[in-house]
Amino acid sequence: MDSPAANAAFAKQIGITFPLLSDMNRKMLKTYGILKGYDKNNETYEWALRANIVIDKQGIIQLVDEGDSAVDPNTALTMCTTLHKKDAAK
Amino acid sequence: MKRALVLGLLAASAMAAAPIARYVEKSDVAKMTLKVGDTAPDFTLLSNEWKTVKLSDYRGKKNVFLAVYVLAFTGG
Repeated sequence: MDSPAANAAFAKQIGITFPLLSDMNRKMLKTYGILKGYDKNNETYEWALRANIVIDKQGIIQLVDEGDSAVDPNTALTMCTTLHKKDAAK
Repeated sequence: MKRALVLGLLAASAMAAAPIARYVEKSDVAKMTLKVGDTAPDFTLLSNEWKTVKLSDYRGKKNVFLAVYVLAFTGG
């Protein structure tokens, strides 16, 4: 689990300016259905999927990419551009 | 990147996540429960600056790009 301190080091290392968040108790991951469980040899293991989610100003989910398709951020970036254009047109 | 707030969520789960994933058939992996058109559930998380960040703080102000990473800051 990446703590805020680990995230701070990571942000500094690669020059990130946006917030890096830690879900230390996995609450958000569970709420969003991103944390998955897998039973193996009578043990349950949990891991999080890779995911990109775009949420508009009204709090409505506009895009969900998960798993392999979330590795490429361009789909989500295109959605951000679309939302920005819609906002600018208002 | 002013057009949307980007939140990177370094969501590391079990350390053995990567090896386990190899054994998982795609059909065993449940889909996310949320879908386009749903209201995004609010959350409160700690940022890399130890500040509290709430999704609802951006309601009516900014679009949000939430990127969930797994084990981003690890050597493996």
